[in-house]
Amino acid sequence: MKRRLSLVLATTLAVGMVAAGCGGNGNSGGAPAGGDTTSAAQETPAGDSGAGGSADTTGFLHSVQFADIQTADVQKTSKDYEVPMNIFDRLVEIKVDDAGNSSIEPSLAESWDVSDDGLEYTFHLREGVKFHNGNDFTAEDVLYTFNRMLTAQGTVNSEFIDQIKGAQELLEGSATELEGAEVIDDYTIKVTLKEPFAGFLACISAPGVSIYDSEATEAAGDQFGLDPAVTVGTGPFRFMEWSYNDQLVIVRNDEYWGGQPTLPGVVIHIVPDTETQTMMFENGELDIIDLDFLTDAIDRLQATYPDQIVEGNRMGISYLTMNQRIEPFQDVRVRKAFQMAIDRQAILDALYSGLGHVEHGIFPHGLIGFNENLPAINYDPEAAKALLAEAGYGDGFTMELAADASASDTVTMALEIIKDQLAEVGINAEIRNYDESTWLETRKSGELGSFLSTWTADFNDPDNFIYTFFGNEEKTTLRSINYGDTDAMARVSSARAIVDEAERIAEYQALEEKIIQEDAAWVPMYSRAHLFAVSTRVQNFVPVWSGIGDKFFNGITLTE
Amino acid sequence: MVNDRKELLVEHTALETGRESTERYFSGSGNAEHGDLSQIGESDTWMDKLKTMVRQNKLAAFSAVLIILMILVAVFAPVVAPYDHLEQNLAQRLQDPGMVHWLGTDELGRDVLSRIIFGARISLTIGLVPTLISMAIGTVLGMWAGFYGGKTDFIIMRLADVMLAFPSLLLAMVVMYTMGGGLVNIFIALSLVNWASTARIVRSQTLSLKEKEYVEAARSIGVKKWTIMFRHILPNCLPSLIVLFTLNIPSAILSEASLSFLGVGAQPPSASWGLMVVRGKKYLFSEPWLSIAPSAAIMIVVMAFNFLGDGLRDVLDPYLKEQ
Amino acid sequence: MVCTKTGRGFQVITKVLKRIAVSIPVLVGVVLVIFVMLRIVPGDPVTTMMGEHVNPAVIEKVSREMGLDQPLYVQFFKYIANALRGDFGTSYRLNRNVTRIILDSFPNTVKLSLLAAVVAWFIGIVAGIVAAIRQNRLLDRLFMGCALMGVSMPVFMTALVLQYLFAFKLKWFPVSGFDSFQTMILPAIVLGWNSAGSIARMTRSNLVEIMQNDFIRTARAKGLREHGVIIGHALKNAMLPVVTMMALQISSMLSGAVLTESVFGVPGIGRLAVNAIETRDMPLLQGTVIFTTVLIILGNLIADLLYNVLDPRIREGA
Repeated sequence: MKRRLSLVLATTLAVGMVAAGCGGNGNSGGAPAGGDTTSAAQETPAGDSGAGGSADTTGFLHSVQFADIQTADVQKTSKDYEVPMNIFDRLVEIKVDDAGNSSIEPSLAESWDVSDDGLEYTFHLREGVKFHNGNDFTAEDVLYTFNRMLTAQGTVNSEFIDQIKGAQELLEGSATELEGAEVIDDYTIKVTLKEPFAGFLACISAPGVSIYDSEATEAAGDQFGLDPAVTVGTGPFRFMEWSYNDQLVIVRNDEYWGGQPTLPGVVIHIVPDTETQTMMFENGELDIIDLDFLTDAIDRLQATYPDQIVEGNRMGISYLTMNQRIEPFQDVRVRKAFQMAIDRQAILDALYSGLGHVEHGIFPHGLIGFNENLPAINYDPEAAKALLAEAGYGDGFTMELAADASASDTVTMALEIIKDQLAEVGINAEIRNYDESTWLETRKSGELGSFLSTWTADFNDPDNFIYTFFGNEEKTTLRSINYGDTDAMARVSSARAIVDEAERIAEYQALEEKIIQEDAAWVPMYSRAHLFAVSTRVQNFVPVWSGIGDKFFNGITLTE
Repeated sequence: MVNDRKELLVEHTALETGRESTERYFSGSGNAEHGDLSQIGESDTWMDKLKTMVRQNKLAAFSAVLIILMILVAVFAPVVAPYDHLEQNLAQRLQDPGMVHWLGTDELGRDVLSRIIFGARISLTIGLVPTLISMAIGTVLGMWAGFYGGKTDFIIMRLADVMLAFPSLLLAMVVMYTMGGGLVNIFIALSLVNWASTARIVRSQTLSLKEKEYVEAARSIGVKKWTIMFRHILPNCLPSLIVLFTLNIPSAILSEASLSFLGVGAQPPSASWGLMVVRGKKYLFSEPWLSIAPSAAIMIVVMAFNFLGDGLRDVLDPYLKEQ
Repeated sequence: MVCTKTGRGFQVITKVLKRIAVSIPVLVGVVLVIFVMLRIVPGDPVTTMMGEHVNPAVIEKVSREMGLDQPLYVQFFKYIANALRGDFGTSYRLNRNVTRIILDSFPNTVKLSLLAAVVAWFIGIVAGIVAAIRQNRLLDRLFMGCALMGVSMPVFMTALVLQYLFAFKLKWFPVSGFDSFQTMILPAIVLGWNSAGSIARMTRSNLVEIMQNDFIRTARAKGLREHGVIIGHALKNAMLPVVTMMALQISSMLSGAVLTESVFGVPGIGRLAVNAIETRDMPLLQGTVIFTTVLIILGNLIADLLYNVLDPRIREGA
């Protein structure tokens, strides 16, 4: 009796647990569109053929990411750009030709006029463009997008448009309307800036300024970006399904205003392990892999698949900081010695197979304003020692290399090499590991020791680099650089308003030389090439101009 | 009586994959029935038992020798290691194993064999220190709970229940998440995670031991409670504790490797074996020895401890011995 | 022992109720420990969550909206109240309901664990039986060694090596994914092997012990063949603690799942925990840990009841 009762209880509990498990499945399967994003989860158990139910993925391209995206609402993420880049369009796009010249190209805006004072931008929008739900694209949608960027909860990309008049007020809540944006008619919108800013068009080409449908986005509420069914744009692909931690599927938008894309669709797999990704690629389970995190495999993959490596530029610079608030870095001689004590080429060779360029300034290769005539900073440990002795640190000193726990192993290795190289000139560098949030907070308070990081262009303009780090006292503190020359920083700030392009670039280049060569504000390390490996059937894959890992899929073709 | 035997079996068996919550529901009830633990160590001396083990179980004996060797290597690492384990040589990176570098060099040109030898220091320390701390805490709390009973018992055991309810790796992850990586934090995380199972076992043994005549006698003549615990109860718990100790060490070493894999473990350049595996596995296809060699080191040590633990249990555990 | 049937039934019910009653403070303790631990994390969660391009005004607004400006105890009681209704809050990073995310991932972990349990049983029991029959001989050591190997290598390394051999070199299975039975085999072997050692060890020692018992000797005397004896009698008795142990192994299975899921790209609960740590998503981490812990407590309860069901002495007594 006792036995039977126990058995019943045990079975009930066990069945209950399993049922709870499968319940999650059933529920999500039962929720129709408008419910949760996770409706795709029902695919998982459904079977092995294709995606097992909804989307037929025959002929699709198979791409991969290390971690799942946070949301496809690009106003709420500053890194998960791949899906938004393909399902939305921007007003303008940046194109870089083979010679490396970058230009602003029309997209949803067919043309635009800029007033002589550089304050007013009038955009003439493309007519006849439809969102995936059939709604017409109009100027109201642009206005709505700008407004939402400044008012939605958890918005992260507002800085791309905060040059618009009244943006700051709207963001802070002291205004209810965006003063600087005005709808002229259905296909014309005028934007007024608070001060002239030559980088504005480049700014609004960023994935973060993707244009949303005012009606659908408002109706979707907080499900926008989470539920594929309600996340609509005008882009070449539609967001089809999202099975969390498993895969994302986008399919061709047959009505695309730019012509029907050649790819029927793309499956983006989520695979956290680097070795697993490599094996999948070599087994033919993936079509494109990003070699940025597989740097260790680059040599081998290049040797094995020499014709399948696609090299992209990267408008990004790796830099090593010296905090001028921390002893003894307020002494420019120490900073110069530090610059000379690090063999950047050796690090580039050892960790990145030499793929990239050693940099000497702020603006990396490929960026508008890159100066190839900048005087080189050469590795010279003897000169470094002499300079240290002159500064009174002949016996060296102890300093901190601040490692961010979320950084890649390669960065950690670079720090280990740097530590070793610094020891050569008598500097005792101690690697201290911070967790990500402490690292970020310490950095923002201006107290962080030296750290190695990389800045990649958000838009192709030197302003995005020099202003971010040396724009004013607040900016330089935020990066724990604490650059002291306020005059130079004032010049950086006022250069933004120079309307004449050549004049503005010349000013930036002069400032770059002053800040890095003369004042040795940081150690410019290198800019790395960005490599992808593609399967034999992939044609016409072009990495994004800025070198981010997210890909535009429109234009790629697959040969069978 | 028969029932008790089962309980202890479950207790011990449950320990090798880490810390599981097995024992508590088996030892939690029917305390009064606990058997004649006083027999432990009375018939045979320790030496006799160990001799039996060496005779019966060559593998356990061999494991013991292996472990001692490993410890010696770790202690005398600077003498044994052919190179400085931190010395980088970028020109010599990723060399194949050969005469100069027996196990090749790593991604920064450091000698892998030397790194494994120095890594033994860190990995064995990670095995020993948290195990010692957690078992010391567990033993004291277990005796305290068992001996005093009542509210003390209730509070300590509920606390143990709470700790035992977490999957060990998840709890360790949370601790590391809170405190950040690094060796000391690993010690804390693993100690925090592991004390409860020891406390469980010591408590149940204490409960039965305190009913024994000599304990009663000592109490009646007014010997202090803690004196009784350390004089009379602790020695009788020792055999179980030794077995537990041997089985807890390898699980700590493995936990650290797992934490390293998840990016919240030991931090370079102080390379534990676990971290070496994690960093080496990126080169699995072209330079497999970078991950295989430290994996093998972990496997050998873990298996040696497991075999030794099994062997020790066979001879030390009174329940298994009586026939 | 003389006891009426109703008395026994009543005993069981009281016992179960008592167990459940004991579980409640444990549950509260679990929530409290995790809650406090995650709130002494250095740094502002919102800053970390929002990353580089963010305006300070936004950070403040978000903190307020998430209730992070309220005192800790208020947050705690709110959390408990919501958790009781099955609401674990909203993920910082994913901006959606944590319960939903967990329930969507859970079936995959269940499938993986069940399949792994089969593997663990198979390896463990076979190795255990062989080892017991050939006690202290070469085969004993060999089979126990094989079973123990699964727990002796770092799980992620076992996973990688098997993946390399069977998926990459031999191409018997896909490298990654979790959408068909075929894709589940490798992860299940890795996870199952990891638990096989303890089952083998337990089977072995129980068998060894039981084979010394009188009734086995009797069976032997009756002339049953050796293997028949072992399988027929000893195994039945030896399996009891092994059976109950399986339920108790949920805990170590879930620990192993964290790693296995990451290597094989299984979209399960273990992955969620790792994601949550990587992205410092406190509500998700909190929810995942609490959910798994509740599972383990339930698993223990089941094991306990099973023990009562299967114990032959109870059967004999009744």
